[in-house]
Amino acid sequence: MLIFSFFKTLMNTEITVELKNEVSIRGTIKSIDQFLNIKLDNATVVDELKWPHMSSTHDMFIRGSVVRYVHIPPDKVDIGLLEDATRREAEKSKAGAA
Amino acid sequence: MSFFGFDATLPRDRGHSAHAPGFGQTPDAFAGLGGGAAADDDDAIDFDDTYDGLGDRLDEADDAFNDDTFGRGPASQQSIGKDFDFAGQTSKISNTIQEEQMLYQARQAPSQQRAQPQHQHQHQPPKPSKPSRTGYESYHDPNYIPQLEARADIWGLKPKQPTAPTRPPENQAPPPEPQPARKIVSLEEVEAMIRAQTLQQERAAMQMQQQQQQQAQQSQPPHVPAYPQQQVPHGQLHFPGIPGQGQFVPHILQRPQQVQQQAQQQPPQQRSGSRPQQVHAELPAHSVQTPPTQHPTILQRQRPPPNDPAIQQQRNAQPQSAPQRPPSQPRQILQNPSRLSGQGQSMVQPGMQAPQGPRGSGHNRGPSYPGMVVTNPEQLLHLSKEDREAFLAEDAKRAKRNHKIAQLSKDNGLMTPQDKNFITRIQLQQLMTATGNLDEQSPETVLAEDFYYQVFSQIRGAPRQTPHQPASQFAQTYLFQTNNRYGAGRRQGRGADNHMQRMEQQVQRAVEAAKAKPKAKQLTIEGSLGKISFSNSKTPRPLLSMKRPVSHDQHPHKPKVSVADRKETLRNIENVYMTLMRMEDHERTIPGQLSQDSSPEVIQKHMEWRTKIEALHKQLWEDIKIMEPINPASLTPHPFIAILSHAKGKKAIPRIFRHIDEQERITILTMVVVHLDKLNVVSHGVATPEQPLSPAMRDEIELFLHSVVPPLYAHIFESPLNIIIGLLGLILERTNVHIVARTKVGMSLLIMLISRAELLKEPPEINVVDWENWTTLYNRLFDSVEPVLPAIFPGSINDTDDMYVWQFLAAMGVGASPEQQQRLVLGVKDRVMETVGVSKALPPEMASARLANVNLFMRAIGLDVELLG
Repeated sequence: MLIFSFFKTLMNTEITVELKNEVSIRGTIKSIDQFLNIKLDNATVVDELKWPHMSSTHDMFIRGSVVRYVHIPPDKVDIGLLEDATRREAEKSKAGAA
Repeated sequence: MSFFGFDATLPRDRGHSAHAPGFGQTPDAFAGLGGGAAADDDDAIDFDDTYDGLGDRLDEADDAFNDDTFGRGPASQQSIGKDFDFAGQTSKISNTIQEEQMLYQARQAPSQQRAQPQHQHQHQPPKPSKPSRTGYESYHDPNYIPQLEARADIWGLKPKQPTAPTRPPENQAPPPEPQPARKIVSLEEVEAMIRAQTLQQERAAMQMQQQQQQQAQQSQPPHVPAYPQQQVPHGQLHFPGIPGQGQFVPHILQRPQQVQQQAQQQPPQQRSGSRPQQVHAELPAHSVQTPPTQHPTILQRQRPPPNDPAIQQQRNAQPQSAPQRPPSQPRQILQNPSRLSGQGQSMVQPGMQAPQGPRGSGHNRGPSYPGMVVTNPEQLLHLSKEDREAFLAEDAKRAKRNHKIAQLSKDNGLMTPQDKNFITRIQLQQLMTATGNLDEQSPETVLAEDFYYQVFSQIRGAPRQTPHQPASQFAQTYLFQTNNRYGAGRRQGRGADNHMQRMEQQVQRAVEAAKAKPKAKQLTIEGSLGKISFSNSKTPRPLLSMKRPVSHDQHPHKPKVSVADRKETLRNIENVYMTLMRMEDHERTIPGQLSQDSSPEVIQKHMEWRTKIEALHKQLWEDIKIMEPINPASLTPHPFIAILSHAKGKKAIPRIFRHIDEQERITILTMVVVHLDKLNVVSHGVATPEQPLSPAMRDEIELFLHSVVPPLYAHIFESPLNIIIGLLGLILERTNVHIVARTKVGMSLLIMLISRAELLKEPPEINVVDWENWTTLYNRLFDSVEPVLPAIFPGSINDTDDMYVWQFLAAMGVGASPEQQQRLVLGVKDRVMETVGVSKALPPEMASARLANVNLFMRAIGLDVELLG
């Protein structure tokens, strides 16, 4: 749930989603679920020339499983906090496994 | 099964889409009745006996999901599935249906039909559905005119034929009661109507049959061959032009009855033939055979069933055909179950027609048959042109809709109930987490599940504010780090500035203080100590010592850290963090404040809490490895220092400082000071104009300055002189001052110590002994630093990041004797002149900033850059 928790803090921020099919889409993240399905508003394809057919689409729902990377504005991330959250998550899963 | 039958009667069902073959199936319910009747005669299962009447109690409102519930069953079921909705939409149409019924009756006004309806209500006809037809069949025929009105009377089947024999007279006797049907408002009423109609028809048929049968029975054998043929054609059905079809249909329906009757009358002979039928009838599929005629009517437009004539005809025909049919029908069903219903309706065989013709003359067969509606053009003929068109349009509409429904539903049953449950659970789960229903979960649980989001929102004031108390604490813990995060970046700004400002302020205060003091006094004091003379004589010494340190500088030994050590260090750091988090979590759970009148439980809790926090405290202290023995000879750095060599280790320091006591802070401070030149930020932090620091190292240094130094500084700022002396002594004795003095971190520490000492010099009580000690140390420091003065500037003249150097010089200058001040000036004179020169070429703002830095130093030694201008 860490990643989900993390993405929840990115609501309404502009991100760039890089898909496994090489398409990159920039848009405002409107919602996300625990499958990391992403709903984007004001979405635009980064390389319009290469993916012209995407240019007419502005609201997108991206299935989480097709996402390769998500580019995030650095100032939206609290690294120290994220580190601690990661530690907690790791410990929890360790405890769960044990 | 019964409920299927009922549902089928709905007008909607009739319209069922092409995809759903079963659409016509609904009629089957009646078939069961017929079969049941037959069964009685043969000792086969009696429908009435078998039927438990549960069907009547079913709640059809939910039939829409039948497909979902039962999956894709037999074709007949599929078709039926969604259209059940008596209570819902069907009821809305009930008025229309009644009207149509009325209309029809008014037009044709068959007296016989009306008579029948009365008594039949009592029977419970529901029976299994039969295979359905597509519903589009009729549309294939250009001439096709949907049958508008169906009369209950027409339906030839009797639910209870066994008993029927006695009844027939009754049924006929009572005059027709068509009106009751109109009144029907509720589903139940509608159903009752339908049943009644069917019953009536059946009875009528029974009567007819009985009469005819008796006559015909014996003659049947010859017919037998004919029937099979006829039945086969049924599949093709819908011969619009064939009037005879209608007649046949009735036969089919009636067959069971006939059979029964026959059986009764001619037990031995017919039974053999009839049994199969009866059995079939009981089964859903079999029922299809008889019902088909009925269904169509019911389903398509619940108009009053047309008439007796058909029934009569049927009866007439039936006697002959009945025995034969049973075998043939089953086949059809098996072959195309879906069509059976349709077939049943259309089942008009050429051969049959002829015989029927005569009989039919008496009655209007076409109209009378519900099933016929679709197939028989005759019915349409009776209608006005407008009506016909309207009906056609209506029918087409219905078919269209059914088709749509079928298309929509084609994927029904794709997911199993388990699948659905699974999805539902996930969705609920998500809802829970998404909405973070705090009411139901304790804050701690939420934190554990959603730590990042919860804390982040608290710190940054994200949209949703949670009423947790820990917020402020988290802010304490993480906001600080947040600011420090971007080493050299914009972020660091505040924290760093804060720190640097304080340091600058301290230096300035020291400068001011020094200025306020008469220089002479300093001189006299120093003079009294006799140091002035010493310094002169000692001047050469530093020159001698100069080379040694420089050579050291050239080859800063970089201890190779083995992978194992590195891993060990990282593990230590993680342990520290885990303990820190446990402490922080534990702090959040601190029980209420203790007071005099606290209850024992509270006190007890408090005690437990304290015990735990102390244990954690102890654990933390062990985790940072600070108490590991110092081994100067060791090639590997001290574990604590190793921790500080990692970024996250540095970041842990401020958090650690919050949890440890004064003594432990001093310990850490001491440890850092002792190993000052072993810190990677110092040992690798020496920069020259030719060899600037790598960006990575610069980040490390910044991070160190912003995370580790401030807590140390805060501590030094409050330390008494003896501790300052002790620390400076450690630096001089245990570290390579040349390296320390040429790094930002080392210089910062020196600035802190010196400026703190300067401030302590003036206040009320000065311990003379301490001061002497300090002066001695200061002189040693000065002597050590002097040789590297030209090299303490890390960058070229254009490097603006030199404020800390000027601060250091200022701090040194404040405490220096006039002679030392001269040496200071000599050492950095070039740099001063260059800076002043460069600043003249700079824009005013930058120039003033740089000059201000220089001035900091100049004023410390009683000069001013203005003088240089």
